[in-house]
Amino acid sequence: MQSSGIEYGPLKIRQVGIRVYVEDWPGRLGFYKYGFPVSGAADHYAHRMANLLVGNPVTEATLEVTGGFFEAEFTFDTVIAVTGANMEPKVNDDPILMWKSVRVRAGDVLKLSLSKDAGFRAYVAFAGGIDVPLFLGSKSTCVWGSYGGYKGRSLQAGDVLNIGKLNEKQLDSLEGKYVKPKFIPNYEKTWEVAMVPGPTAAPDYVTEEGVEKVFSTVFNVDRNSDRSGYRLITPKDIFPKEWARKSGGVAGLHPSNIVDMGYTIPGGLNVTGDMIIILGPDGPCGGGYVILGTVAYADVWKVFQAFPRRDFIRFRFATLDEAEELRRKQEAMFNSKEEIIGG
Amino acid sequence: MSKYNPVIDILPPKEGGWQKKIIFRVAGDGWLQVEYGEEQVFDLLDTFRLFAIMDRLAKKQIPGLIEYGNGFRTMMYRYDPTKISLRELLKYIKEVEEEVGGIEELSFPSRLVKLPIVFKDSVTRAAIEKYVREIRPNAPNVVNGHNFDYTAMYNGLSPEELKEKILGTEWFLCHQLFWPGGTYQLPIDPRCAIEAPKYNPSRTYTPEGTVGVGGWCIYIYTTESPGGYQLLGRTIPTYQLSQKHPAFKEKPFLLKASDRIKYFETTEDKLLEIYRLVHEEGSPKYQYDITEGTFRVKDYIDFINREDVKREVKEFERRKMEAQKTVPIP
Repeated sequence: MQSSGIEYGPLKIRQVGIRVYVEDWPGRLGFYKYGFPVSGAADHYAHRMANLLVGNPVTEATLEVTGGFFEAEFTFDTVIAVTGANMEPKVNDDPILMWKSVRVRAGDVLKLSLSKDAGFRAYVAFAGGIDVPLFLGSKSTCVWGSYGGYKGRSLQAGDVLNIGKLNEKQLDSLEGKYVKPKFIPNYEKTWEVAMVPGPTAAPDYVTEEGVEKVFSTVFNVDRNSDRSGYRLITPKDIFPKEWARKSGGVAGLHPSNIVDMGYTIPGGLNVTGDMIIILGPDGPCGGGYVILGTVAYADVWKVFQAFPRRDFIRFRFATLDEAEELRRKQEAMFNSKEEIIGG
Repeated sequence: MSKYNPVIDILPPKEGGWQKKIIFRVAGDGWLQVEYGEEQVFDLLDTFRLFAIMDRLAKKQIPGLIEYGNGFRTMMYRYDPTKISLRELLKYIKEVEEEVGGIEELSFPSRLVKLPIVFKDSVTRAAIEKYVREIRPNAPNVVNGHNFDYTAMYNGLSPEELKEKILGTEWFLCHQLFWPGGTYQLPIDPRCAIEAPKYNPSRTYTPEGTVGVGGWCIYIYTTESPGGYQLLGRTIPTYQLSQKHPAFKEKPFLLKASDRIKYFETTEDKLLEIYRLVHEEGSPKYQYDITEGTFRVKDYIDFINREDVKREVKEFERRKMEAQKTVPIP
């Protein structure tokens, strides 16, 4: 198959642990008002690094491996990179380094095990990218919408995915690149993320004390967390205690109810009833619940590296200007490839 | 002011015409929310103004503005902070808000879409049977095997009168944020403002094309999905991922916010034939009935202020209140 001058060939999917999605970045922009969420890589940091390592644009699709236990067999020689959560990647039975581009041969099998210590999602990039059809301008999968990516769903054992097929000379130049150590994040069990309160926060919807409490609480991530949203186990001392209103009025009886509005995805702290949910890239574009704050975009990838039930999230107060500055710095970093990639 | 307060700017209410205060709220880096008035209310005038704003925005180039989406009374803007800061973006958006004058002079493009509907059809009836069987055996919102007669009771209407309310107005599609191509509609004729409580607990399955009512809104379920609105009946496809029918060629959804929808009754055989033509054949033999048009807010204001309309709205309100004293809530 041929498109945009790149040749593609088959990758045989042998095992898919929990879920493996094709995701690009920044996702599906321009269709928010029609109800199509942005989707795209949940960890935009690891995703972009993986692409840079194999010589792709940061916008190209990678495989987002959730949890672990993924296996795929190559049918031709290529260069790949694995970033994100450490799932102890191996080619055949030999461990390979993460955050580094690696040459693989026809017949080799890439194996990812379980993400044991920290992190929940790993990213696999292929030199030349992944060939799936664009849907509304993006290769990203939206899980509950059953569209985008590979047939609108997670990969399954037995699937054949088309990936870039470059020539020997190109592969030679891509092999052995690595992310310089200071640009490899520490993977934590408690992720601290910058968060800007608003648009529906103190004082109108949540008390000042309530917002303080959100910043001083370490939240355990609920087991029912996915790309749509990360549910946080929310102490009763925050909600219902700290609602600034008694009811949602015409929007509904509960004080978390408001007249439907657009949500901030990913990263919005959506309070549905008395539970905080951090909206994911596949979260709804809008709805009738308060958004208490929004995680800084530069940090939002950390949320989705938290392993549901095992890991924790803590919010650090940031002003809008601080959050904008974090983002500008991060974009500038990704725009200076020679600074971050060695080899 | 508290360091947590997200209000970054305000435009005071204007004398004459549209009076509401405009509030600009921080929503993290990359987003700006604009809110009309301080009260959480459903007011079509707020929604209409948002469409007049979007009509104007479509003709402007604002650097770093990626996209936007409207709710009933708010607009959410998505911008790229590497190209523009919120403070700069705010200047542009305030300018647009200032340029749009009094609500009475406003108009914006709005299509009229005529959709066939079958009330109490067999597909929604089967979905309700499934709910009763699997989730809530004695659901009080199921009367004569459907939610339609229950909804009539809840509004103090006979089933025939409920049909008249649904068929008797154009329904304004306010926003689509919750579900791709989704369709939150409010009646343009306030005399047709039916209401309904939601399912409790919610439904795990709603068929494609179902027309339901919850709160003040009616809603077409574009695809099979969970849901909580009371089911009234079923209309034709408004969403097609395969995009094989010509109506879906550009985008996989038929309807967009600012459309006006007018329902007319049809038979189940005809409805199913349209499903077959659209989904199985992708055939242009079925053509959707869509007319381009303009919505003038002044006409709406004049209409809702007519004495007879105001009187009948009050009368219907009274009937609803009376009925809701005795009709059980799920």
